[in-house]
Amino acid sequence: MSVLEVDDVVVEFDTDAGRITAVDGVSLHLATGETLGLVGESGCGKSTLARAIMQLVPMQRGSVRLEGTDLGSLSRRELRRMRHRIQMVFQDPRGSLDPRMNVSTLIGEPLRVHGIGDRASRAKAVAEAMELVGLPVAVADRLPSELSGGQQQRVGIARAIVTDPAVLVCDEPVSALDVSIQAQIINVLDELRDELDLAMLFIAHDLSVVRHLSDRVAVMYLGQIVETGTASEVFGEPRHPYTHGLISSVPRADAESAARLQTARRMVLGELPSLLDPPSGCRYRTRCPYATAQCAEAEPPPEPVGRAGGLHMVRCHHWRTIVSAAPEPQESATSQELAI
Amino acid sequence: MSGMPLLEVEDLHVTFRTASGPVHAVDGVSFTMKPGSSLGVVGESGSGKSVTARALLRLFAITDDVQISGAVHFDGQDLLRIDERRLRDVRGGQIGMIFQDPLTSLNPLMAVGEQIAESLRLHRGMSRSEAAAEAVELLARVGIADPEQRATELPSSFSGGMRQRVMISLAIACRPRLLIADEPTTALDVTVQAEILLLLDELRRSEGMALMLITHDFGVVAATCDDVQVMYAGKLVEKASMAHLFDRANHPYTEGLLRLVPRFEDAHTGRLHPIPGQPPITGGGGSSCAFAPRCSYAVDRCRSEVPPEVAVGPQHLSACWLATDRAKDNTEAGQPWRRAQ
Ligand SMILES: Nc1ncnc2c1ncn2[C@@H]1O[C@H](COP(=O)(O)OP(=O)(O)OP(=O)(O)O)[C@@H](O)[C@H]1O
Ligand SMILES: Nc1ncnc2c1ncn2[C@@H]1O[C@H](COP(=O)(O)OP(=O)(O)O)[C@@H](O)[C@H]1O
Ligand code: SF4
Ligand code: SF4
Ligand SMILES: [Mg+2]
Ligand SMILES: [Mg+2]
Repeated sequence: MSVLEVDDVVVEFDTDAGRITAVDGVSLHLATGETLGLVGESGCGKSTLARAIMQLVPMQRGSVRLEGTDLGSLSRRELRRMRHRIQMVFQDPRGSLDPRMNVSTLIGEPLRVHGIGDRASRAKAVAEAMELVGLPVAVADRLPSELSGGQQQRVGIARAIVTDPAVLVCDEPVSALDVSIQAQIINVLDELRDELDLAMLFIAHDLSVVRHLSDRVAVMYLGQIVETGTASEVFGEPRHPYTHGLISSVPRADAESAARLQTARRMVLGELPSLLDPPSGCRYRTRCPYATAQCAEAEPPPEPVGRAGGLHMVRCHHWRTIVSAAPEPQESATSQELAI
Repeated sequence: MSGMPLLEVEDLHVTFRTASGPVHAVDGVSFTMKPGSSLGVVGESGSGKSVTARALLRLFAITDDVQISGAVHFDGQDLLRIDERRLRDVRGGQIGMIFQDPLTSLNPLMAVGEQIAESLRLHRGMSRSEAAAEAVELLARVGIADPEQRATELPSSFSGGMRQRVMISLAIACRPRLLIADEPTTALDVTVQAEILLLLDELRRSEGMALMLITHDFGVVAATCDDVQVMYAGKLVEKASMAHLFDRANHPYTEGLLRLVPRFEDAHTGRLHPIPGQPPITGGGGSSCAFAPRCSYAVDRCRSEVPPEVAVGPQHLSACWLATDRAKDNTEAGQPWRRAQ
C-alpha cells in the first residue's frame, strides 16, 4: 500500500515576467520502506514539487494523499495535526536551524509544536533520535554554530524523524557537504530507512548518490516526469534521451570518462529552455538529437516500457525506435549506433 | 624548450597566523608541470588545494596574516620573489585562474564584453576597438551563442553555466600558458559540468596551455586530466598518472577517497565507507603522518615520523610508510578499494 500518493499535481507561479508552470501534472507514489529518487537539472521543479507535497505552496490542481488522507481537503488545524507524519530535510543544514537554540531543544521542537507527548517522553524521543542519527550525547547542549557541517545535518535529520513520520522528504540533503561527510549522512539515511521503515523521497543532483539510495527513480524535466522506473531500469536501461544524456554526463573515475562526455554533449544539447515559454509538444525537443516534426506537434503521453504491469514509464514518441544503449563503458555507443 | 617544466614548485609552505594559532595550510609541497599538461588536485575540504593555487600567484587578502616560503619557478622567474608589478602581469596574463563561484569573480556592474576587453587592453596592449572585437571572438570561442549581443549584457543575466563560460573566456583572454581552475564545476548541474569540462579540455589542446584542475571528484579528474595528485593536511600524499591510479592507488588516504563515494555503475552495494574522523584543522606541520589518526593501517612508526615520498611505480609517488608493501600487494591481489566494494 502506498503511504504517499501524489496525483496530477500542478503548481504555477506568477513572476514579474509572466506565469510559469513549475510543476506540470506530476503523479508519483511511495510505499513504506521505499526510497524514490528524484533527479533533474536545477530549476526543473524538484523543490517546488517537494514543497507542494509538504503543502507549503498552493497547488493549482491535483492531490496529495498521506496514509489515505487527502491533505488538500484538510483545514489548517487538521493539517497541522497530520504534519508530524510527513517531514522534510533541507539542503542547507545551518540555515534551517535556529542559531539560538541548542541541539536538544532544536530536535525536541517539532514535538512541542505538534504537542506530542509530555516532557519526559519528549526527552526520551530526543535522545533516541540523536542516537539514531549518530549524534553523541555530548553535543546536546551545543549551538548550531558549534557543530561541524555533518553534525548540523544530523540535527536536521533528527528533527525530521523525531515525530515518527511515515514519509521523509529530503531536498538535496548532502549537496552542501564535503565528500567524506556526504558518505556519513547517506549512511544515516540508509540506516534510518531500514530501521524506521520510512518512505523517502530523495532529491539530489548527484546521480551516483541517487542510484545508491533509491529503489525507484523519477527523472524530471521542465516540470514533468519524463521517465520513471526501478533504479536499475532507469539508470541501467534508460529509454528517454534526456535520461541517457544525464547519465552520460556523470563523470566517472575510469578510462572511458572523456569519451562518455562526448556522448553527453550529443544527448543534451544546449541550455534548459525558459519556463516562461516552454516548447510546444515534447518539452525536450529543443535539446533532443532525435526530435521530429511529431515532437513539436504533440505532447508525448506516458507509456509503459517493458513487461505489462511493470513500473518503467517513459514520455517520448520515439522510445521504441531509439536504441536503448545503456551508457556503460563496454558499449559506449557511437552516434551511428544511436541514430535511428 | 619542450623538455623544460613550465611550472616547478619547490617545498612550498603557507602558514596563516590565526587567533587560535598557526594553520599550516600548505606543508612542503613540490611538483612540476610540463607545458600543455593537465594535472588534477584532489582532497577533502580544508586539505590545502585552494591555498596552494592561491600561493602560486600570491593571491591573498590584505587581512590574511600569511607566511609563504619555498619557490615557484614559472617561465624562468620565481613568482614568490618577483615584485608585485611583474606578478600582476603574470596573473591573468601567462597564468589564468577560474574559481568555483563565477559571480563573485565577475564585476556585477560591468558588461561582460567590457570586462574581457579591459583585460585584453591591460595584458595584450590592444586598442579599445581591437579589444572589443576580440572579446566577442572569445565569447564565441567558449560556446556563447549570439556573442555580440551577450557581450553587452551584465553577468546577472547569464545562467550559472554561462557565467562560468564567461569566466573561462576571461581567463584564456591573454592566451595563458597555465590555467588554474579551482572547483570550476562544483556548483553546476551535471549536464553543464560535462560541457564545461569538455570546453576546458578542448581549450587545453587547441591553445597548448597547461591545466591545473582542483576538485574533490576523481571522475572530473578522469575526464580532463592525465596526472593527479592527492592532497591531505597540506601535503601531497600521492602523485600518479590518472590511468595508473585507477588500478594502483597506493596511499591509504587515496584508497579512502575512492571508496567513499558511491560509484554510478554500482547498484546499491551496502553501506558506504566514510573515512572516520576529520582532517586536522591546523593543517600539517606535525612530526607524524597527518593521516595516522584516521588510517586503519597505521603502525607505531606512523605516529612518530613523517613518511617520505616513495616511488612505487613509473611517475608514481606515495608518502606512506607502507607504500612499498602496498605496491606489492596491489599487483598481487588487485585494488583494495575495488575488492572491498
Ligand atoms: N585566510 C585564511 N586564514 C586562515 N586560515 C586559512 C585561510 N585560508 C585557508 N585557511 C585554512 O587553510 C587550510 C586549507 O584551506 P584550503 O582553502 O586550501 O582548502 P581546500 O583544500 O581548497 O578545501 P575546499 O575543498 O573546501 O575548497 C584550511 O584549514 C583552511 O581553514
Ligand atoms: N516562490 C516562487 N516564485 C516564483 N517562481 C518560483 C518560486 N519557487 C520556484 N520558482 C521557479 O520554479 C521553477 C522550479 O524551481 P525549483 O522547484 O526550485 O527547481 P529545482 O528544485 O528543481 O531546482 C524555477 O523556474 C524557479 O525559479
Ligand atoms: S518525444 Fe521527440 S523530442 Fe521528445 S524526447 Fe522523444 S524523440 Fe526527443
Ligand atoms: S604512513 Fe601510516 S598512518 Fe600514514 S597513511 Fe601510511 S599507513 Fe597510514
Ligand atoms: Mg531545488
Ligand atoms: Mg578550495
